[in-house]
Amino acid sequence: MTEKRIGVYVCNCGTNIANVVDCDAVAEAAADLPGVVVSRSYKYMCSNPGQEMITQDIRDEQLERVVVAACSPRMHEPTFRRAAETAGLNPYLVQMANIREQCSWVHDAGEMATEKAKDLVRAAVYRVTRHESLERLSVDMCPHTLVLGGGIAGMSAALELADAGKRVYLVERTKALGGNVARVDLTAPYLDSARDMMTDRVTRVIEHPDVSVMLESELEKLEGFVGNFKATISHHSSGEGPPIEVVDVGSVIVCTGYKEFDASRVTHFGYGKLPDVITSFEFEGMLKQGRIEMKDGRLPQYVAIVHCVGSRSEEFHGYCSRVCCMTALKYAHEVKSALPRTYVSDVYVDMHAFGKGCEDFYRRSAEVKTLFLMYGKGDHPVVRRADPGDDCEMLITVDEQLSGEQIELPADLIILMVGMEAREDSEQVTHLVNISQDKDGWFIESHPKLDPVATTTDGVYIAGACQAPKDIPDSVAQARAAAARILGKISRGKLEIDAMFAAVNEDLCSGCRVCNEICPYSAIEFDAETKRSHVISALCKACGACVATCPSAAIEAKHFTDEQIFAEIAGVLA
Amino acid sequence: MATRANPKLIEELEPYGAEDVMKCYHCGNCSAVCPFSADPYVFPRKPMRYLQMGLEDKLKGQLDPWLCYYCGECSDQCPRDAEPGETMMSLRRWLTSKYDWTGISRLFYQSWRWELGAIVLVAILTAIGFTLFGMSQGSLSAYDGPNAFLPSESVHVFDWVLAGVLMVFLLSNAARMWWFTMGRAKDLPTTLGSYIASLWMLPTHFFTQIRYSKCEHKGPWVTHLALMLSYVTMLVLIMFFLTDMASGPAIDWSVHVAGYLATAGLVLATILFLRNRAKKSSAQYRHSHESDWIFLVLILVVALTGILQHILHRSGLDAAANITYIVHLSLVVPMLALEVPFSKWSHLAYRPLAMYLAQVRATALSRARAGGVDPARPGAERHTQVHPI
Repeated sequence: MTEKRIGVYVCNCGTNIANVVDCDAVAEAAADLPGVVVSRSYKYMCSNPGQEMITQDIRDEQLERVVVAACSPRMHEPTFRRAAETAGLNPYLVQMANIREQCSWVHDAGEMATEKAKDLVRAAVYRVTRHESLERLSVDMCPHTLVLGGGIAGMSAALELADAGKRVYLVERTKALGGNVARVDLTAPYLDSARDMMTDRVTRVIEHPDVSVMLESELEKLEGFVGNFKATISHHSSGEGPPIEVVDVGSVIVCTGYKEFDASRVTHFGYGKLPDVITSFEFEGMLKQGRIEMKDGRLPQYVAIVHCVGSRSEEFHGYCSRVCCMTALKYAHEVKSALPRTYVSDVYVDMHAFGKGCEDFYRRSAEVKTLFLMYGKGDHPVVRRADPGDDCEMLITVDEQLSGEQIELPADLIILMVGMEAREDSEQVTHLVNISQDKDGWFIESHPKLDPVATTTDGVYIAGACQAPKDIPDSVAQARAAAARILGKISRGKLEIDAMFAAVNEDLCSGCRVCNEICPYSAIEFDAETKRSHVISALCKACGACVATCPSAAIEAKHFTDEQIFAEIAGVLA
Repeated sequence: MATRANPKLIEELEPYGAEDVMKCYHCGNCSAVCPFSADPYVFPRKPMRYLQMGLEDKLKGQLDPWLCYYCGECSDQCPRDAEPGETMMSLRRWLTSKYDWTGISRLFYQSWRWELGAIVLVAILTAIGFTLFGMSQGSLSAYDGPNAFLPSESVHVFDWVLAGVLMVFLLSNAARMWWFTMGRAKDLPTTLGSYIASLWMLPTHFFTQIRYSKCEHKGPWVTHLALMLSYVTMLVLIMFFLTDMASGPAIDWSVHVAGYLATAGLVLATILFLRNRAKKSSAQYRHSHESDWIFLVLILVVALTGILQHILHRSGLDAAANITYIVHLSLVVPMLALEVPFSKWSHLAYRPLAMYLAQVRATALSRARAGGVDPARPGAERHTQVHPI
């Protein structure tokens, strides 16, 4: 192999690296490695002067390869690749040695750390020598979008896209749009009517020329890749039109929402046994009817609201359902305004009032004389029928945390704030659109902070409560964010896809299809005619699973060839 | 054993002034800022919690409200405007009505119309009584001497009779206070010895209000002490030296100087308090219950009529002095007969008594905890340290 002209750049990262690793010594050692013509140490390689140092050297020294010893490539590989590209060097000819996260941050200062940094740099130099120039792929972007779920998130996403003039297929399994929000009376903390809000959205979605609303419909199959999906949708209604429809879409937004926790799974509240123990959704129904009453038609003198039913418990769901606290306060307000002589108690664990206007709402709930009783996390209040002669129907026993007393609280109507949980069919959805679920069944986003609506599958987005419990504003924000991401892609017309992907050498492929099964991104297809598998490069994430699995060694991952990896190992061990 | 919450109790307390207690979310700032709040008397937070939940029996058993002098620091620090200081004040009013077995106190605190009506009624009866008595005794134009309209010896006897009746009410109420807070707590290992050992606290706290001086602002302590000492001085003068005070042109300066000082103290302190309340100058004056106004105005007019009577007498206007005397007595009698056992003046007795009992109780708790049992917190770990009162 002919020797390449290599530049090595050792970043001090201020003191992050330099305090532990002797960066100058690392640069000096690198200078002696085969092919290295420039080797420098600098305070901040990612800074503009740092990048310019690299581009200048590429031009002046005719560098053919660049090694940057700095932070994790997750952090700054794109930066240095861009720098190389600016100077006319193929970006895949840059290799990073991670001497921060994998060296200076995890070791004590001294000789050993510096030696390790030298080893890592040597590995990178050996590897980069064997890098090849790669070209990124460009694919078409279909401007249509499939939205799954006609709740507040789905409708918001659909309107955002359709208002931009893009076609949307809105698939809703039930007979009506609106989702869970349509079951709610007023909303917290401003006590606006959910109905008013929904009516407007539903009308606009239905009347919008760019939205195809498909009620009583389901996604059966999704094939293809970002920008080029084919969605097969089945219609269950006996109405006009074919029962199966296939549409071309460039993106998918999953807004399948949540279902409420089943209160009958908890025994100590007497739900299902005591007539006046009801769930929050049952109470919403009462509010929408406009009459708060007990089963026998009497008005309750004491209303008790119990928080965290199914949420924040070891037995059921460990997470917080986020909306119940404010919904409970909303009930306190609604009961007090409908029945001013009724005593409202709020049996809670912690009051989560984090949203805008919520702390103030909490304060106002106390001002209308709601009695708050705190029970311990991991504990649970117990409901029993009151004794004859008591002026109430039921008694709730609470180990009250703010007083340290065991309290018996009178109640005539008990509202259980049932939490949110992932829908039963959520697993089915993950298989359909190739996304993943966390341990609680919520769909997983690409990055919890920096990429909250994308998923690991390009072109598939998640929004609303299918991702995690959330309130209306957060659901709408996510939906519109997903729409914005899609509009961004549509506006560019073409999609660029990373050049790192696996490729099957069809001469070696035996057609065993092991790789088809192993690929976590469903990126490998089997061609029944040729009896060979091939990789859909747009879907491939270059994870390497198929490369390792292939019994015929017929698959190679670009940028992760055996030769490159062995060279890297040799470099570390040299 | 679970305690039954009573969400209705708060409504009972509202007429006593506890209007904001439900706003409290138990951050504990109030108890942290209070110089007196310490184990085993943690307030205002704890009594506020009992009140929110309506634990009437526990509230009745509390000495905590009396350990507060209402400096207002807690209310200033409260992030929820739950007025912990005023809540403690309301609890004192409510407790006063609970100690009082006649039910009169409850009527007074729940409606100012009852209190004012009773004062007016007693005033009229007093006026009629003394007028008839005076006419049977002597001449309206004679203030002193053998033909005096209201001979001081007779008024003196009346004072002692009145004082006796008042003491019956006040002591029986104080006994009830002891029963609620100490007597019925069976597992509290109090001893006669500890009752005797702490007895010094009664006069000390009565005459010095020394705990009040530990509040951050000293001003209110000084004014409060001045008003109380003036009042007590006047009471002593009336109860023991009335004949000397009323005695003719011959002046007994020792009595008179004390009288003038006490009068000045009463007038200045009540005017200052009235002004503070009117201007709502700080937290403890922001919420004035009707009983607070009635109390201050009553003392002020008693003092003013006393002064006027004295001036008229010294000026030789005996008839005018006698009429003023009747007016003065018509105000003094309701002030003593109604305010001392049934309304605001009762705290003169309850507060030092509470501090004394609190000490006895703390000693008992200390002993119990040292022995491994904590009646206040069964099952809690052993604490031997109890903060001294």
